[in-house]
Amino acid sequence: MRRELNRAFHTALLITVSFNAVAAQQALRWGADPSGGAPYVFTDPAHPDQYIGYEKEMVDLLAAAMGRHPEFVPSDWETLVSALQRNSFDVIVNGLEPTGDRAQQIIFSKPYYIFQLQLTVRKDENRIHSLSDCSKHTVATLGNTAASRMLQQQNIPFRSYEDPPGAYRDLELKRIDAVLMDVPAEAFYARNNPKLKPAGPPFFRGLYVIGLRKGDDKLKAEVDAAIDKIIIDGSLEQILKKWGLWNDAQVEFQTSIRQGVKAELGHIDMTTATFNWRDALLRLTRAAIVTVLIAFGSMLIAVVLGLPLAVGQSNGPKIVRSFCTVYVEFFRGTPVLVQLLFLYFGLPAIGIAMPGWLTALVGLGLNYAAYESQVYRAALEAIPKGQWEAAYSLGMNPVLAFRRIILPQAFRIALPAMTNDFVSLFKDTSVAFAISVWELATAYRELANASGQFLLLGVAVSIFYLAMSLPMAHLARRLEDRLRNRVPETVDLEEVAA
Amino acid sequence: MIRVTDLRKHFGPTQILKGISFEVAPQTVVGVIGSSGSGKTTLLRCLNGLERINSGTVECGKVRLEAKLSKAEYRHRVRDLRREVGTVFQHFYLFPHLSVLANITEAPVHVLRRDRKSAETEAYELLESVGLKTAAQRYPESLSGGEQQRVAIARALAMRPAVLLFDEPTSALDPKRTVSLRTMLRGFVTRGHTMIIISHSIGFLNGLADKLIYMDSGEIVEQGPAEQILNDASDARTRDFVSQAS
Repeated sequence: MRRELNRAFHTALLITVSFNAVAAQQALRWGADPSGGAPYVFTDPAHPDQYIGYEKEMVDLLAAAMGRHPEFVPSDWETLVSALQRNSFDVIVNGLEPTGDRAQQIIFSKPYYIFQLQLTVRKDENRIHSLSDCSKHTVATLGNTAASRMLQQQNIPFRSYEDPPGAYRDLELKRIDAVLMDVPAEAFYARNNPKLKPAGPPFFRGLYVIGLRKGDDKLKAEVDAAIDKIIIDGSLEQILKKWGLWNDAQVEFQTSIRQGVKAELGHIDMTTATFNWRDALLRLTRAAIVTVLIAFGSMLIAVVLGLPLAVGQSNGPKIVRSFCTVYVEFFRGTPVLVQLLFLYFGLPAIGIAMPGWLTALVGLGLNYAAYESQVYRAALEAIPKGQWEAAYSLGMNPVLAFRRIILPQAFRIALPAMTNDFVSLFKDTSVAFAISVWELATAYRELANASGQFLLLGVAVSIFYLAMSLPMAHLARRLEDRLRNRVPETVDLEEVAA
Repeated sequence: MIRVTDLRKHFGPTQILKGISFEVAPQTVVGVIGSSGSGKTTLLRCLNGLERINSGTVECGKVRLEAKLSKAEYRHRVRDLRREVGTVFQHFYLFPHLSVLANITEAPVHVLRRDRKSAETEAYELLESVGLKTAAQRYPESLSGGEQQRVAIARALAMRPAVLLFDEPTSALDPKRTVSLRTMLRGFVTRGHTMIIISHSIGFLNGLADKLIYMDSGEIVEQGPAEQILNDASDARTRDFVSQAS
């Protein structure tokens, strides 16, 4: 009995000690964007609760070399730098390029990889052979990367995507004409796609480094030493070979490290974010125009489509009534964001591939038609039955009575609610950022992430929104007043709608 | 002008009209009296096609409505009927979004397809005849009850109907206006119109109606020349109603 107690005590002690040993080992919290993040770090398709990737394996090695245990913090590419500054994690390991603008916000480790860029086009493409052929074509890339900055500097029209699969899919769907991407991503997502081909050889030589908070010099020293160690002992080379990322540039780079020669890397390119306020405002203006066009276009669809929905739901035959009800409940009951994603990514499966701006316009239009139909329905039901009967008694048929007597009165009742919906639709255009439409919200996100000017750009973007929504609210109020004051001429619905 | 034969109307199991028959001679005024719930208003709605009859016939000029007609044919004949019959509702139902002038010209222009200019000229004449020429550009909500009624009358007349139906025309009027309305309606008869007036007010119909019909519980209790109904009704219920209402 006593011996057993003793043993139990020893076991408990042992557990406590080993537990303490783990706890004493400091964490290396590293942040990266795992969504569409192959081959850097991404969800293991075979084990969806685990992350894999060459940088994941590299961090495991680095952490071991530093005597820490790695702790992955899944994050978002565009906000990695600000998340690091907010102490969400200790280091960024996500194929980060040490650009001048980032250097103002964070510090960098030694480089661990030399990356190149690859332009990809469709198999049947015969106009584009290199980046210089792209001045009239839209090139897709990831936002805030070496590729996007290079495109911006060379004034090549481009669209920013959240992840590589989206960009390559839209290339296949002919929504864009070419994709420029870091070679690791290109190798993983595009090289074996039979519908795509590389346009010219890879070019550009840039560095991947690890990002750290300013002032974290002790950690930087640890990280630098660990990078040297895994290069010199050949373990990084094994990982890169395993992932098919070992090439001449790496041989050259790692040899120079092993020999202790730092400056002999050959030519290294580095992109810079060309942020200045004039450019930023210009791009915001462009985004504002897109926003306005989407808002007006989708409101037109909503206003026009809402009417048959409202009439169908109130007065249609049973089958029409059920259809309208299902339509309204579907579009009101599911998030507009999900609807847009479905239209953008789902519809191409049945052969309908609309460009992003059109998807946003149609999607928001269909969505708001559901809301407008309910506004109309309430307005139509608010018209006294006697108005119909008076119209009938004067010999009008139902269509004429509806058009000349009921609709103009209902319109007057519906107008304030419609104005409200329009202002909220106007703001809802921001969900279009999810499908990479360059509207104001997207512009804000990208420009702010590229420059770190979240506050000032936020003010600027708000001013843009207000500059557009306030005149609209004013116009709507004038229209309401005009209808209320009953200027002597008959109010034509067509005239009001225009 | 109008002949109604064995007209029946029910809503679900409730019998509202239980076999109504009467005739209206051209250029005469028929008053329909009776207490609330007697079926007067439903009768009027059957006469302008707002309610479909369940049995019997309604004849007006050349138009003949029969209960057994197909839906499409019934609708077709109702359309013809409404060319013959104009209605002035108890609450007028003017179109609030249109000016007085546009209220009157709306149907002639869009139903009869008359050109706007001549429709407006005629509308001004009608407004003058109801004493509202200066109100042409005003909107219904700025008018008094009596003025709204006169616009409603002008609006009905603009379609040039042979018959005018009135539902409780005195409910919104003070006694003085009631007298002038009676004079105005008398004038329409002289100009060739036939009228059916539904009213609580014996006083209003006295001296206006040529013939009176007393209804109770969906049936005609008694009908005859106004003089006789008012002074010498044969049915006790009629005498009760007349004595109480006047």
